[in-house]
Amino acid sequence: MILGAASIAEKIPFLWPEIAAFLATCVVMVVGLSPNLGTRRLCAPIAGLGLVAAGVLAAFTTPEGTGPLPFLMPFAKVVLCGVGLVLLLLASGVVDRDEEAVIAAGKATFNPLRTNRAEFYAFFLFSLTGLMLCASADDLIWLFLALELTSLPTYIMVTMSRTGRDGARSCEAGVKYFFLGALGAAMFLYGFALLYGGTGTTSLRGIERAFVSQSGSGGINSIAMVGMLLSIVGVGFKIAAVPMHLYTPDVYEGSASPVAAFLAFVPKTAGFLAIILLVSTMGWTFARDGSAAGGHSLPQLVLLTLWVMAALTMTVGNVLALLQKSVRRILAYSSIAHSGYMLVGVIAGPGDGTSITRNGIAAVLFYLLCYGLMNVGAFAVLACLDRKAGDDSPELETVDDLRGLCSSHPVLGWTMVVCALGLMGFPPLLGFFAKVPLFTSAIAAGEIPLVIVLGLNSAIAAFYYLQLVAAPMLEAPDTTVRTEPTGHAARPMAALISAASVVGVAVASGPLMEAGAKAGGKPVAKKPAEQPKRPPSGPSGH
Amino acid sequence: MMHLLAQANPPAPMHAVTLGHYLFVSAAMFAIGLIGFVSRRNLIIMFLCTELMFQAAGIALIAFSRFHLNHTGETFVIFVLTVAAAEAAMALALVVLLFRRRESLSGEEWASMKG
Repeated sequence: MILGAASIAEKIPFLWPEIAAFLATCVVMVVGLSPNLGTRRLCAPIAGLGLVAAGVLAAFTTPEGTGPLPFLMPFAKVVLCGVGLVLLLLASGVVDRDEEAVIAAGKATFNPLRTNRAEFYAFFLFSLTGLMLCASADDLIWLFLALELTSLPTYIMVTMSRTGRDGARSCEAGVKYFFLGALGAAMFLYGFALLYGGTGTTSLRGIERAFVSQSGSGGINSIAMVGMLLSIVGVGFKIAAVPMHLYTPDVYEGSASPVAAFLAFVPKTAGFLAIILLVSTMGWTFARDGSAAGGHSLPQLVLLTLWVMAALTMTVGNVLALLQKSVRRILAYSSIAHSGYMLVGVIAGPGDGTSITRNGIAAVLFYLLCYGLMNVGAFAVLACLDRKAGDDSPELETVDDLRGLCSSHPVLGWTMVVCALGLMGFPPLLGFFAKVPLFTSAIAAGEIPLVIVLGLNSAIAAFYYLQLVAAPMLEAPDTTVRTEPTGHAARPMAALISAASVVGVAVASGPLMEAGAKAGGKPVAKKPAEQPKRPPSGPSGH
Repeated sequence: MMHLLAQANPPAPMHAVTLGHYLFVSAAMFAIGLIGFVSRRNLIIMFLCTELMFQAAGIALIAFSRFHLNHTGETFVIFVLTVAAAEAAMALALVVLLFRRRESLSGEEWASMKG
């Protein structure tokens, strides 16, 4: 089955957002080489415009998909364009700070070979384009290429994110991330090959049909089953799930804060979209007769793998986070734990309902949005502060560095407090509204033991998040550790937007959840469903 | 259109070599790659081990493509080769960068962060 010209033309309507982002990428790559500083500064605004255009196109032009989850695309793409914009604000000034200062002082002339501002923004957009392509994937080949397009640029972004003396740490982060990433990619590629071998097709629709007919006649092919397990473990690298989570703390610690925030959202979202698409070929739709909802319609072996992964990921992430002193390592381990929470939603599956409280996939999509915003806020605070000169590392490191932040830098301090409380799932804030659907959908799917593990883990998480709340709010400023704001106006703005959305999106969570429920819903059987509702753009939006 | 491009008839399968043999070779390559990745510490060898795993998947894809008598697997392999080339370019750039800093290719030079 080779794609004919007709079937490529059919796919174009789904791809306008990706095309817009790609065009912006090309423009950015060229503009960043200009000898004129003013023109070079246009890189970030152009990237932002590209993202806005992609988000608008995704909201208005994307037709209903043909895959197992036809409403997934517009919601996922709008969400990631919104969070992408906040990440872009945060990323301004990651590279070329020193280089531009030297050129501006007239000590050196501009040399296009020594600058890498354009590359940084281009890789940023490439990665987001790959993420959008993941959302529109309907074929294993497409999914593989989209996952690689998402992750290859991130390896470079990690490596180039710090310069000078600090560059050794970002190099170490880059080498760890790249090698384990290549291992993960090889594993899910082998899994995809076996899936193709067991079913004879790479189209997700075709694989689903093959599984339905195979399970009607003596069970799913064992080659395809091994392939599915390998794919899940391999994609587990992207979401930092347990057997493949080892890189996370080192990479988040070694790369600059804006890039770490990017890593916590973009590859993770790509991984979850891939896992949802892969698992949807096996489970859930078997339950069309209404006999069993959610996870129980998955084959035992896949269900068990996901179950063990979810439970271990949550527990390992939370327990190891308790032992950390560095803020970034705490956030890294908590990012592992959050992946575990979201796997619970994947296990619960879309269930029977259109309501988000019974639909695990909708819960995961909504959680990804909330986690993205809260996490960007926390990393933004770290990115806004520099240690005073003379310290071994210019970036803020331990929890002690945050002491008394609420009195010394009120905006940053309260952002940290709000985001940490949100990540913890404190009731009136965003994280709470994100976590409730995970619990209810898992209960609706009958996964009571997993819900208990989830509840216990949320309690453990409170210990270390409360540290991040108490240090800035309650403790007196430490006079020995001096921090000062960096000179980037856009970064506190990113922090403010995230903090505002942690409160604001929580208020507007009703319609957003409705949109999420629709996005995670299954195809309506007979009459062609109306266009999926656009999620209203939150404070993070356009 | 397609019949002009493809061979008229697929060649008759060799009787002695079956899908199982190809899958065995591919699984063996994947396993060797995985073991090498875990046990070796030279960055270039480690990267070549991941390449071995990629090519193992390629062999499996082509064998399955012949088995199912469609071209999907072969198409997939072309894309896999492209991605493998991109990864190789990145790996070389990274290794050069690292070598300049530490004058060594050992992965153990790059283990300062722990915990």
